[in-house]
Amino acid sequence: MSELSLVAELLTSQYTYVLFAFLLVVGLYMVVASSNLVKKIIGLNLFQTAIFLFFVTTAYVREVDGEAGSAPVIPEEAVAYDPYASPLPHVIVLTAIVVGVALTAVGLALSVRIYAEYGTLDVETLREVRADD
Amino acid sequence: MTEVVADWRPLAAVLVSALAIALIVASHRRRNVRELWSVLAAVAKFAIVLSMLPGVLDGREYRWSMGMVPGLTDEFVFGVDLALRADQLGMLFAVLASFLWIFTAFYCAGYMRGLSEPNQTRFFAAFAASLSTALGIAFAENLLVMFLFYELLSIVTYPLVAHDETDEARVAGRKYLAYTFFGGGFLVLGGTVIIYWLTGLADPADVEGVEAGESTATVQFGEIAEPLWAVFEAGAAAELLFVVTFGMLALGFGTKAAIMPLHSWLPDAMVAPTPVSGLLHAVAVVKSGAFGVSRVVLDVFEPELTAALDMHVALAALAAFSFLMASFIALRKDNLKRRLAYSTASQLSYIIMGVALLVPAGVAGGLLHIPAHAFMKLTLFFCAGAIHVETHTDDISKMAGIGKRMPLTMSAFAVAAAGMAGIPLIAGFVSKFYMLVGSIQMTGDAAIGEPTAAGFVFASALIISGIMNVAYFWPVVYTAFFESEDAHDAKPLVEFPYGGEKASYGVLGRGGEAHADGGEPVTDGGSTDDSAGQEEREDSHTGEHHDDHEHGDHHEDGHHDHHHHGGAPPGGWVRTSPREESTWLMLLPITVIVTGAVLLGIVPGDLAFLDLVVEIAEAATGGEVAV
Amino acid sequence: MTEELLPGLLIAVPILGATLPLALGLFRKRVGWSVAAVVLAIEAAIASWLAYAIFVDGQRVIHVLGGDNFGRQQTEVGGHDTEGFIVGIELVADHLSGLVVLLVALVSLAVLAYSRREGPRGNAFYSGYLLLTGGLMGVVMTGDLFNLFVFLEIVGLATYALVASGRSAESAVAALKYLVIGTAGASLYLVGVGYIYVVTGTLNMVDVSRVLAGEPAWVADVIGEGSLYGDPLVAAAFGFIAIGLATKAAIYPLHTWQPDAYAESPDAVTIYIAALVSTSAAYAFARITWTMFTPDFFAQSAAGQDVLNVFLALAALSVLVGSVLAAMQSRVKRMFAYSSVAQFGLIVIAVGVAVHPAAAGTRAVEFAVYGVVIHLVAHAIIKGGLFATAGAFRSGSGARLVADYAGLAKRRPFLSGAVAVLGFSIIGVPPTVGFIGKWYIGVSAVEAQLWAVVFVIFASTLLTLLYVARLLEKLYFDYLPEDAPPHAEASAELATDGGRGSETALPYGVASLVAIATIASVVLGFMGAELTAMLEPLVEAVIEGEPEVGA
Repeated sequence: MSELSLVAELLTSQYTYVLFAFLLVVGLYMVVASSNLVKKIIGLNLFQTAIFLFFVTTAYVREVDGEAGSAPVIPEEAVAYDPYASPLPHVIVLTAIVVGVALTAVGLALSVRIYAEYGTLDVETLREVRADD
Repeated sequence: MTEVVADWRPLAAVLVSALAIALIVASHRRRNVRELWSVLAAVAKFAIVLSMLPGVLDGREYRWSMGMVPGLTDEFVFGVDLALRADQLGMLFAVLASFLWIFTAFYCAGYMRGLSEPNQTRFFAAFAASLSTALGIAFAENLLVMFLFYELLSIVTYPLVAHDETDEARVAGRKYLAYTFFGGGFLVLGGTVIIYWLTGLADPADVEGVEAGESTATVQFGEIAEPLWAVFEAGAAAELLFVVTFGMLALGFGTKAAIMPLHSWLPDAMVAPTPVSGLLHAVAVVKSGAFGVSRVVLDVFEPELTAALDMHVALAALAAFSFLMASFIALRKDNLKRRLAYSTASQLSYIIMGVALLVPAGVAGGLLHIPAHAFMKLTLFFCAGAIHVETHTDDISKMAGIGKRMPLTMSAFAVAAAGMAGIPLIAGFVSKFYMLVGSIQMTGDAAIGEPTAAGFVFASALIISGIMNVAYFWPVVYTAFFESEDAHDAKPLVEFPYGGEKASYGVLGRGGEAHADGGEPVTDGGSTDDSAGQEEREDSHTGEHHDDHEHGDHHEDGHHDHHHHGGAPPGGWVRTSPREESTWLMLLPITVIVTGAVLLGIVPGDLAFLDLVVEIAEAATGGEVAV
Repeated sequence: MTEELLPGLLIAVPILGATLPLALGLFRKRVGWSVAAVVLAIEAAIASWLAYAIFVDGQRVIHVLGGDNFGRQQTEVGGHDTEGFIVGIELVADHLSGLVVLLVALVSLAVLAYSRREGPRGNAFYSGYLLLTGGLMGVVMTGDLFNLFVFLEIVGLATYALVASGRSAESAVAALKYLVIGTAGASLYLVGVGYIYVVTGTLNMVDVSRVLAGEPAWVADVIGEGSLYGDPLVAAAFGFIAIGLATKAAIYPLHTWQPDAYAESPDAVTIYIAALVSTSAAYAFARITWTMFTPDFFAQSAAGQDVLNVFLALAALSVLVGSVLAAMQSRVKRMFAYSSVAQFGLIVIAVGVAVHPAAAGTRAVEFAVYGVVIHLVAHAIIKGGLFATAGAFRSGSGARLVADYAGLAKRRPFLSGAVAVLGFSIIGVPPTVGFIGKWYIGVSAVEAQLWAVVFVIFASTLLTLLYVARLLEKLYFDYLPEDAPPHAEASAELATDGGRGSETALPYGVASLVAIATIASVVLGFMGAELTAMLEPLVEAVIEGEPEVGA
């Protein structure tokens, strides 16, 4: 009985973590199983986005004194403010997004070059063509 | 208490030939200058070593450590010093190796020029390097430094083994590297590390010279046994661990000493030029292995602990098995160098067994066999090499009557062979005698004087082996002097298949064809009557079944020039006088070394070896060599 | 005062300098190498100054990014005293990172000398090179977990670009493969960092270590009494972090990117990344395992021990598989790449032994620490040297396959001698530096009585012998193919006169790099005592579970 309630609790209040795990695995699967290079890079992006989701989720403050957390933007002259979500994971995610963009850019540039050299983006075809070299 | 003196001489002895390498390579265009460097380095090395001998006999030890170099400390790795120490056991090996190198340098020159070998500079440079590392092994103060030089020895002797650059030489070289690195890099290093750990488990209170709070871990010879014994008695580590470590170290060094079953690199390494086989595989390389085993038994585990573990019986039994099996195999070898290789494997196991007996006489005998065997085996190899250079003959079956052609060489061979068999007045007798006495004295526990079954078994093994030594050396001498090319018997052990020949022994070699159909001569296409043709047919009859009759042996030299098949020239051997049979470069060393072998047999006490050996044995076992 | 600026400078100088080749390239054509040389010379000077401050003066140099607003301050959060927790990111130069910083600076300069004649030309290449150097400095010195991720990715990006700068199309494929696998690894590392953040609330390595140990007073109030080592999140975090860094260090079975990347990149790039990139990942793994998780975590957490044992097994497999695969390769650069897999297996084994519960209380921890650091440095020097000789053989004699090396010792005695010495060093023949590292790793495993690991370590000697001996035998004991044409591949430097490929003389840069690597590998072999003396503060910190080394 307790397992069912555990699952129920997971799915209702902590569904983001489940989603994170699911997206992680889907992204990884795309990287591994796709035969198209661009799809692999998309999978990598999905994989990284799942991790961003995880960080954002951990930043959220559910309830403090009856108030749920809001965005961590506080004007300088504010006297009192509502509870806010932790800004540090947001910063982390921003940085990581930038890193991800850079990686995607490099990855796509390499794919373009591979296409120019070999004429294909398909991994299997690529393997055969390279084996002929 | 021995006095330890800080001295640069051990390092000088090791490095003088390393310096020679540079000079040898630099003078690669001028052969005589290049050979001169080898000889000068050898003489210098011997002089340095000899200068330390009186002090060592008196009880002093000379020590060089890295801390003596300004700016460096002693420590090599944590708790282990990089140091060389000339003590009695080390001097034994060092004096032997450096003395024999002088004459080997001459011999090499003669051999290499006689065969116009290529890559002579590389050869001489590698030779000098190997002598450097051999002395490093002799003077190593601890297991790690010994391992260092042990590995370096494997590396610098590899170019010598693979010298011919034929496929066979390369395969032999690879096998050599595989065996020696397995023995060295795996077994010896593993054993050393485990010793370092085990000694560190001891309580400082039990070990003298170590204060509380300091580490008792050590790999220095002479200092290991105490903490090891303390750990053993305290039961801080399983006894199996001690046994395994002893086994690892003994087998690791034993690989180079060609103990069975790790011996098979040695016969294959005979593809190398004979001076290599001679000095390295009869003297330096295999002797360093035997020396290593002696160090393990006498200075690492020391007799007390070895006996407590019962490893001395195990080691002696393995050695006895080894020398008997090697002798059996040697009986069947046609190629002279292979026969000598198996003989070496056999004799090396004598040394190991002698040391493993743990009684003073046995240890003395085993250690004395190091120089004794070296002199004799080197003579034998030099003779084999001279025969090869002068007549291109490698197989015993083709050596009938060769005594006419090479009288001095074969006489030296006969003398050395007699010594190997233990005939009195030649070196081998003294060491064998001590070993026989020692094995009778040997007991199951450490008390001296009560014979036991194990001792009798070893004594009988020694006697049987002595007989077999005669059995495999006598045919060579007999066929050289007492047979002639056209009237010699087949050698049953060598040439017949297992189980004997079907044809009558008397038919072969008498001018008839071997067949059993009652007398109808079978013409097999031009049967001639000249002796060379007959020998060919005999060889083809008897040559199929034995691996050493295969082409590998016939093409053993792997020379790129004229194809020769050895044996007597068509008219039979030409009778030559001793002065003309070969070049002085080869004859002089042969003469000197066989004389040394005889001197060792007649007046062993006057040559330093016996004194050194007796002192070492008495110090290690705590008893007296009372013979 | 000024020492504190040094870590920041070490990172900033190359990164800012990376813009110069591209900017100046608008005005002059071939300005890249000179700019890189000047920048890296400055870098080497700063690194030496920093090393002096650390090792001779005994300081632990900390630089907080961002100036006075950040740093360790006494504040209160939610009514609890944070006890000097840091706000912001700090760069830490202590005994461990100081040594690796020096290594990075010197190797960068040396490879630059190599690439003067040999390397890829072009200003963009040198920009990437400087960027990589800056990234490596960041990986080595950062004290913040997320900052480590960022620098790891900077290193990764620069490496992908440099690998792809080879002329052949294969380089692009190799770079893409490296990108995909490396990014997946780094992302998994990020997951681990996320878990740690959830548990401890901080990202600074020192602070995380303290919180995990349960030391600050507020932990008891907010989270609960005692250490957090039993929390499954912590064990999971270790698992993810370890996997991520193991991917970057190319441990079996995550090594598949390495042979391709090493083999297909230009020779100068191969030397650099072989010497430094995996080294920095291994360094990060060591730092995190030793000073952040500390041996206490592995002693108390069963799940942590399981993960550790799995890693030890994988590392041992790396050693075996890497060596065997290396022996099977026909191309020399791939052979050396697999050799790196094996060597990093040894290093990861030792990292694991240092924190293994079986080693607690024995001298295994001490020896494992020495072994890891010495072998890291040794491997960098040796592998860099080996790849340099491989590059020199390729450009000078057109030799790419092991078979091409037949008999080349006669024509290239200096290079062949260097291959021999470096080869013996990596086998572990004393008195080279490769032996010292292996000795300490072996002793540590024996002291911890992890016998399976001991067997693998000593067997690695024989396995390494397999491929080194093969190469040396080909060099020295095989025949020159008198009339065999050089390996046919379109490349401008190769001679195609159909016969005795033109034997160009070795450029000074190449020769000096090879010579320095060879001499260093032997000389350092005699300096074992000095090296271990330098590392004592690190050993103390690991044994006591202190996150701050030499404080």
